[in-house]
Amino acid sequence: MSAPALRNGTLLRMALRANLLQATWNFERQQGVGWAYALQPALDAIYRDPETRRERLAEHTAYFNTQPTLASLALGAAARLEAERAAGAGPDAGGMARVKAALGSTLAALGDRLFWFSLRPFAAALGVLVALARPEAPWGALVLWGVYASIHLAVRFLGVRWGYAGGPAVLGGPLRARLEGLVTVLAYGGCVVLGVLVAYGLAPGGEMRPIAVQSTLAGGLGLGLVSAQRARPSPTQWALGLGALVILAAWMRRG
Amino acid sequence: MTLPFLLTLLLGGVAALDATPVAQTLLSQPLVTSTLLGILWGDWSTAMSVGVVLQILAASTLPIGARTPEDYATGGVAGTGVALALAHGVTVQPWRDAAELAGAIVGMLAATSGVPLIRWQRRRNEGLSRWCEAEILAGNERAPAMASLAGAAMAFAVGVALCAAWLAAGTIGLRGIVENESLRLGRAWTLAQPLWLGFGMAQLLHAFVQRRLTRAGVFGAALVGAWLTLVMGAP
Repeated sequence: MSAPALRNGTLLRMALRANLLQATWNFERQQGVGWAYALQPALDAIYRDPETRRERLAEHTAYFNTQPTLASLALGAAARLEAERAAGAGPDAGGMARVKAALGSTLAALGDRLFWFSLRPFAAALGVLVALARPEAPWGALVLWGVYASIHLAVRFLGVRWGYAGGPAVLGGPLRARLEGLVTVLAYGGCVVLGVLVAYGLAPGGEMRPIAVQSTLAGGLGLGLVSAQRARPSPTQWALGLGALVILAAWMRRG
Repeated sequence: MTLPFLLTLLLGGVAALDATPVAQTLLSQPLVTSTLLGILWGDWSTAMSVGVVLQILAASTLPIGARTPEDYATGGVAGTGVALALAHGVTVQPWRDAAELAGAIVGMLAATSGVPLIRWQRRRNEGLSRWCEAEILAGNERAPAMASLAGAAMAFAVGVALCAAWLAAGTIGLRGIVENESLRLGRAWTLAQPLWLGFGMAQLLHAFVQRRLTRAGVFGAALVGAWLTLVMGAP
């Protein structure tokens, strides 16, 4: 018996539903329910028998977690395995859980670096630079949103297809190298954007800011580099403490 | 002023949705929500001043694994909303600066106060996921859709409620102090803003450099090159 092929419409519905992957995120099953919801169109297409379909759907509400954008690749791969399973060639429930766990951790390792540590800070730094340089128009927000969302949504929608085509080995080919390359490009790009941003903070539009402002910016930069070596206190707690100190200093100053 | 307030609350809910439960497109980032609020309230300059500070701090807050990060989605809306409400109709610069300082601090406090609320939602979602599995086995195949919608609705409601609480606390509680101490607070803002920007940029730089000398060199070269270009003029 051959595995039933999934239509493009089914893969698209899975990608659309992947937008709700984290709607019920919790400490117990993490993305489990969202995963089952996103995979449901594939299960509907693969399993005609309602009893088997419900069993498989319930099985997929178990623990799953990965970086939410790259989860699309895992969804596609899982859909392919389910199709093979229906044809009697795929893994059993235990095997499917192991494949999901392996895919989840591999995709999280790459996805966290790509989306959380590289693309998000890059888009934010670029957006802030544009907002400071062009304060009269909403370009900063558009750049931030556009840079991140274009890549995020492209991977989310195309990822299901890539995962379905590649199966569990989806990250074994050139895709991984391309995504790793993107991480490096974004890291270097981020360094350039931050360099320009600091220069712009010191002399916006070529006009030097007062020495007190320049010193404070440089002081914040130095303190930030030191505090970044430790996870706690968090940057927000540091920022609140620094804010309190500045207000206290302004209060105590005469005149 | 009622309509901008209501739309600000609505944006707080939408931002809470985008942050984790739905899509995660970064529509919830403070720079984006501040831009929308600036258009909404007709005060671009105040919204951008606060939005840029909160954005640079939000960017260094990462949702890795099961960590519950600060809620800058709601914090960005609440903080900018408070600044806009306090600066509404005011033309005196120190007063406007003081409102921006108050907004930035409220934004950070709101983001911090959002952490236990996010954890609370995640604990509620545990029950929802168990209910979902039981319902599927009982024959209800629409349970994952219903659970997802319920989770999203709860996130929206919590976002609106948190935003409303901080908007009310900020605008009512801080109006007097912003009005009476605007000179001191305005002075504090002129120093706090670059301090926070520098601090936030350093966090981002640390994320990019990852102790690699070449990346630090690229940053330094970009800084010197951009500074020379800005100060001396483009060649």
